[in-house]
Amino acid sequence: MNPKKQKKHFFCLALLTICFTVVSVQAEVVVVVAADSPITSLSKGQVAKIFLGKSRRFPDGSRAVPLNQSEGSLEREAFYQLVSNKSPTQIKAHWSKLIFTGRGQPPREAADSNAVKRLLANNGVNISYVGRGAVDNSVKVVAIK
Amino acid sequence: MTKPLEGDPLEAPSPQVSDNSQPSITPVTQTKLSGVQIVFLLLTVVTLFALWVITLRLIENDFAQSRTNADRSVSSLALTYEAQVVRAIREIDQSLNVVKRGFELGNEKPMLSLVDDWGLLLPDFLFVTSTTDANGNVTDSTRAFEKLNIADQDYFLAQLEFDQLAVSQPWIDPYTKLEKLTFSRRINTADGGFNGITFASVDASYFVSGYEVAQLGQHGVLGLIGTDGIFRTRRSGETIVSGEQTDYSQLVLNSDDLDDQQVRLFSNDWDQVQRYTVTTKLYDFPLAVVVGVSEEEQLEASKRLRKQYLQRATAASSIILILAAIMLYLSRQLQQSRQRVMDEQIAHAKRIEHLAFHDSLTGLPNRSYFSQLLSRGIAEAKRYDRHFAVLFLDLDRFKFINDTLGHDAGDELLIEVAKRLNEALRETDTVARLGGDEFIILLQEMNDENQLSAVAKKILYSVGKPFHLAGQDLRVTVSIGTSVFPLDGEDEQTLLKNADIAMYHAKEGGKNNFCFYSDELSADSLERLALESSLRLALDRGEFLLHYQEKHDLRSGEITGAEALLRWQHPTLGLIQPMQFLPLAEETGLIIPIGKWVIEAACKQANRWLEEGLPPRCISVNLTERQFTDAHLLDDIANILHTTAINPAQLELEITESLLLSNFDRALETLSKIKELGVRIGIDNFGTSYTSLSTLDKFHFDTLKIDGSVIRDIANRPSDKELTEAIISVGRTMAMTIVAEGVETQEQAEFLLASSCDQVQGFYFDKPSAPSLPNPGSPE
Repeated sequence: MNPKKQKKHFFCLALLTICFTVVSVQAEVVVVVAADSPITSLSKGQVAKIFLGKSRRFPDGSRAVPLNQSEGSLEREAFYQLVSNKSPTQIKAHWSKLIFTGRGQPPREAADSNAVKRLLANNGVNISYVGRGAVDNSVKVVAIK
Repeated sequence: MTKPLEGDPLEAPSPQVSDNSQPSITPVTQTKLSGVQIVFLLLTVVTLFALWVITLRLIENDFAQSRTNADRSVSSLALTYEAQVVRAIREIDQSLNVVKRGFELGNEKPMLSLVDDWGLLLPDFLFVTSTTDANGNVTDSTRAFEKLNIADQDYFLAQLEFDQLAVSQPWIDPYTKLEKLTFSRRINTADGGFNGITFASVDASYFVSGYEVAQLGQHGVLGLIGTDGIFRTRRSGETIVSGEQTDYSQLVLNSDDLDDQQVRLFSNDWDQVQRYTVTTKLYDFPLAVVVGVSEEEQLEASKRLRKQYLQRATAASSIILILAAIMLYLSRQLQQSRQRVMDEQIAHAKRIEHLAFHDSLTGLPNRSYFSQLLSRGIAEAKRYDRHFAVLFLDLDRFKFINDTLGHDAGDELLIEVAKRLNEALRETDTVARLGGDEFIILLQEMNDENQLSAVAKKILYSVGKPFHLAGQDLRVTVSIGTSVFPLDGEDEQTLLKNADIAMYHAKEGGKNNFCFYSDELSADSLERLALESSLRLALDRGEFLLHYQEKHDLRSGEITGAEALLRWQHPTLGLIQPMQFLPLAEETGLIIPIGKWVIEAACKQANRWLEEGLPPRCISVNLTERQFTDAHLLDDIANILHTTAINPAQLELEITESLLLSNFDRALETLSKIKELGVRIGIDNFGTSYTSLSTLDKFHFDTLKIDGSVIRDIANRPSDKELTEAIISVGRTMAMTIVAEGVETQEQAEFLLASSCDQVQGFYFDKPSAPSLPNPGSPE
């Protein structure tokens, strides 16, 4: 291995380490609902079903309307990893199939955590996720069982 | 051994003996299959046939079912896929149409976010929707975009001409490196001019995301192809390909019947996989869908099943075959053992039959079988007016051989003779053994005397060759008598009797000879038969008597002994000399009892002379060849010595030189045993044969008798004188008593006296005469 290549490898490794550090910091996502929502806790599976189009209702029978963060956002990636253990590609393939076969439409998207909080307040959607740092009074964190 | 049965059509008692040397417990080699076994084999074959027919039929059915299933399944999948593709494209078209209409109705930017708000945009994480102005500059997009111009893209150019949905060729997204498809719609100005386009891009794989391995397998195919023959996307398993060119016209048939969704099985151009394939042209778009399932995958289960069926059928066949083989084997074993038992029974029966009709020693037909053959031969000869001959054979000197060499050697000789006889004859002739040393031959179709004598000569020659028996070579001769049917007899008994008569004549004519029967022979033979039968009776009737010729001491002139001479006082023929009946007695064996009587009578006479007060006289008795070789001779002598209580030295047995010659060792043994009894032994007729001096020395004779013929002419022949003197000299040297026989003249007597001969007997002194008293040995 020549020194130049070695240097390049080292650089890549360093970059990768930084990336993971960032992800792990930002990956701290929490599931949130409107502050006045009766929902207090859900299982990962229940959340995953709602976000993957397999269920349209909360366990208590009320209608669930999920809201995604934008594609490519760290929150979104971390969220799906958390609740369904699926990569963005897998999520995309999943929706691709659902949409193509006419079995569902993906959740609406919000541009960022602030938009999420704003939309949750009064816009038809009633469940989403944000970075833990973005939690405030306008939303309620749902405990994940 | 026997030839006569071959081709014998009558075969009444069927003593079939083609091969009596093998006790025919031969193993059963190849028995034919029994009926049951054949049925069993057929059943096995039928069962196997049925098994395989059913197996193959099942396999065939299963394959047919699988093909039908594949066919149906691919049809159904194609319908579904077509519907999905059409709906997906319609959705795209509708969304683009909303944007297009928005612009055309005069709404200005931000048109896309407005439509998005309405919820009529395509899901933005799969689709990117954008707009351009009339020059192809991108004016808006659902994704962040750089300032760029797409005026050179096919989906832009397509909208310049026609106002309808256009589909791009697949292109590669520089960011994701994934194949993309773009759909576009034209935006018109109010007066219908070109005012730009709106377009949506999506991953090409979107159109094959409905691929279900469970339904299509790993090697099925879902595909979307343009009417230009370029695959917009195609998926098999996890492999997705875009942009590949194929022969559209061949792939998508231009069918008139639009409802007819045709399933075709063919090897797909692009990957050479044999598939059940359905292709359907979409109504509203320049696209067609391709759906296929791999034949191999669809038939895999059937193939597995086929393999299983074949294995099971093979296993079942093997078991059936093994069972069949075992059953057959057992059955054959049973059959064979039955057969063996049967064969043994048959062989046993044959042996019994053979024994009943054959001579056990030589294997030749016996008298009763020959009798049947002969009577059958007579019947046939009568019917077809044929002649045949009967040959009666009797071995010369057989009794002598039997007595001297033993019965085993005698048996061996008979076997060899039987063999030679068979070899000397034709296949059609029959040799039988009547018993003892008598054989009889039936010569078929024998007309001619020359022919008959040729056969007889051949037999004489054949039997006359030396035999090797009991360690020595010897020659045997045979006497043959023949009779011919019908000249010499027309029935069995006459033929046999006449052949027998002829045989006796042959024998009398010097043995080793043959003789044809004639009526004259018959007369002779009757005489002979009469003599033989009366000879048999003579002993019982006491017709024999002994005459005695005295022996005189030459010097003293005293009577020293006498030679006993046998006479037959025949009731009608008068006194018969020995030469007239002794040969017959010797031949028939009557000599044995007669000889015994002679010795006993002579001993009694010696006792009587003692009782009369005469000095002890030595009585000499002649032994014949037959007597000398008789096994009971010694016992008989010992018995007589015992019963008469005679001093053994008073008895002298005389033998001729010729007796010594036939079997020297045996003769020596017999003589020494006689001597052990104390009986004297004399050699008779000395000077007429070839006895060597060493022979004389070995035997230690007590008495040497010079034959009468030696001294008969001494008066005229000096050589005889010298011979006589030489014999006397040798005899004296060996301490023998010399007796001269046949002394008839005074001259002879004087010469013998001068030559120191001990004793003499002959007419010069006395003639043989009956003793003064009646014969003492005659039975009461």
